[in-house]
Amino acid sequence: MCETKAPILAGKVALVTGGRGGIGRAICERFRSEGAVVYPADITKSGSMNASGETAKPGTRDGPFIRLDVTAEDSVRSAMARIGRDESRLDVLVNAAGIEIEKTIDETTLEDWNRVLAVNVTGTFLTSKHALPLLRQAARHSGSASIINFGSYDGFIADPGLAAYCASKGAVHALTRAMACDHGPEGIRVNAVCPGYVDTPMLQSFFAGDGSGGAGQTLGELQTAVRDVHPLRRYGTPKDVANLVNWLASDEAAYASGQLWVLDGGLTAQVQQMRL
Amino acid sequence: MMDRVAIVTGGSRGIGRAIVDRLVRDDVRVITCSRSSRPRDLPSPVVWVRANVADTTDAEGVVSEALSSFGRLSLLVNNAGVQIEKPVADSTDADWDRVIGVNCRGVFNMCRAALPPLTDAGGVIVNIGSISGVQADPGMALYNASKAFVHGLTRSIAIDHGPAVRCNAICPGWIVTGMADDAFALAKDPDAARLDAVRRHPSGRLGVPADIANLVSWLASEDAAFVNGACLTVDGGLTAASPLNPGLF
Repeated sequence: MCETKAPILAGKVALVTGGRGGIGRAICERFRSEGAVVYPADITKSGSMNASGETAKPGTRDGPFIRLDVTAEDSVRSAMARIGRDESRLDVLVNAAGIEIEKTIDETTLEDWNRVLAVNVTGTFLTSKHALPLLRQAARHSGSASIINFGSYDGFIADPGLAAYCASKGAVHALTRAMACDHGPEGIRVNAVCPGYVDTPMLQSFFAGDGSGGAGQTLGELQTAVRDVHPLRRYGTPKDVANLVNWLASDEAAYASGQLWVLDGGLTAQVQQMRL
Repeated sequence: MMDRVAIVTGGSRGIGRAIVDRLVRDDVRVITCSRSSRPRDLPSPVVWVRANVADTTDAEGVVSEALSSFGRLSLLVNNAGVQIEKPVADSTDADWDRVIGVNCRGVFNMCRAALPPLTDAGGVIVNIGSISGVQADPGMALYNASKAFVHGLTRSIAIDHGPAVRCNAICPGWIVTGMADDAFALAKDPDAARLDAVRRHPSGRLGVPADIANLVSWLASEDAAFVNGACLTVDGGLTAASPLNPGLF
């Protein structure tokens, strides 16, 4: 962290769903370093990570871990009730909980479909809906509150064998704009970040799964080849995403709302590259 | 019903020639032009003008020729275009003049000259943009930028000159023409390069000039009466997929 700069989230209360995943964890860490009180929430204490839980840095106040199933309305209600009791408001909601299933629609069962839509779309709906009273409190208190949803570059264009995931992210994009229109007048900003290939457990699972379909190459060769299609010649890191989420959560982004922020190392600035 | 009259720029070969042939089949009276001389196999009813659309006087001359030959104008298809394969750092003033001259100024020249007669009779403009005007092809900086200009001008004409004139753009992907063949010829293994390109297209093939001519024909028809200011992509699904196509690695 940068000692010379004032923390830009000082005093803000933030809830990060998927807070134990690759990206969610980086967001929590960055928020803490910027002075926010962070409530990491996830379905299990380890989330999608095997690593042990992190601890708050000395001198920072940390909200406790909240066990949260974003697809269950009771679970969402009780998470919000807890934050309401402890903090009386919520300045920042980050909807980072998400799953993917590597299948075409031919292979996708109704159960698969419902599961992906439940976490990625219904989850975003439920947490946002039940956070609204606390977000309004924050907006009255400090002038603005912010919701940051997780879209994906896959909500714009398709990766093969990810049909339900692509559809779910397109839904999040539309929901983001709709919420921004409906709740902007109350001082609530709503944006989505749309990451490309970010080095997380989910990406490793994509490479290992059937969807990636490497043509007789080792996993390492495949990952290098994919990396080199990126104009920046690297994958995104959870920290890259946290940098953007941090800015969108801050008052620096006071006029940013209803937008879909693509963060992909330049990947989608290009047309598909033929191998000439 | 009076025959429709169309100007197609760059109609000597490739996509332009396919548009000319299609409009002739649609019973449209066609006048076409390029900087070269009349192709020998151009159907005889088609009027040929040697013209450089980057030149204002030449462009006005093409419109005058249409009016003197057929008495009116109903359709303008701005197809003439050039590409130079260079990034910005290597692009010369001459490259700029050539690409921007034909692809931007040429489209502007032709639209400006054709708008009065198109407005009189109620007309249609179809510009040929490109998927490269939306997402970048590497090493084609001026071309990419020139096609984005075409998309922007298309929307402006639609809002400024409707309802008398409808103006739309088509964004072709990889169409098998001399231009595409040149690109494959540069590959280390041209056959492998062609196969790779085909596999990136959900439609399972590259485009052919007739694919673009089909859409020109439709956009010029009454079926497209409510289509205005649109940039329509015809690329066999290429840009619906991510630039990353891990299945091909």
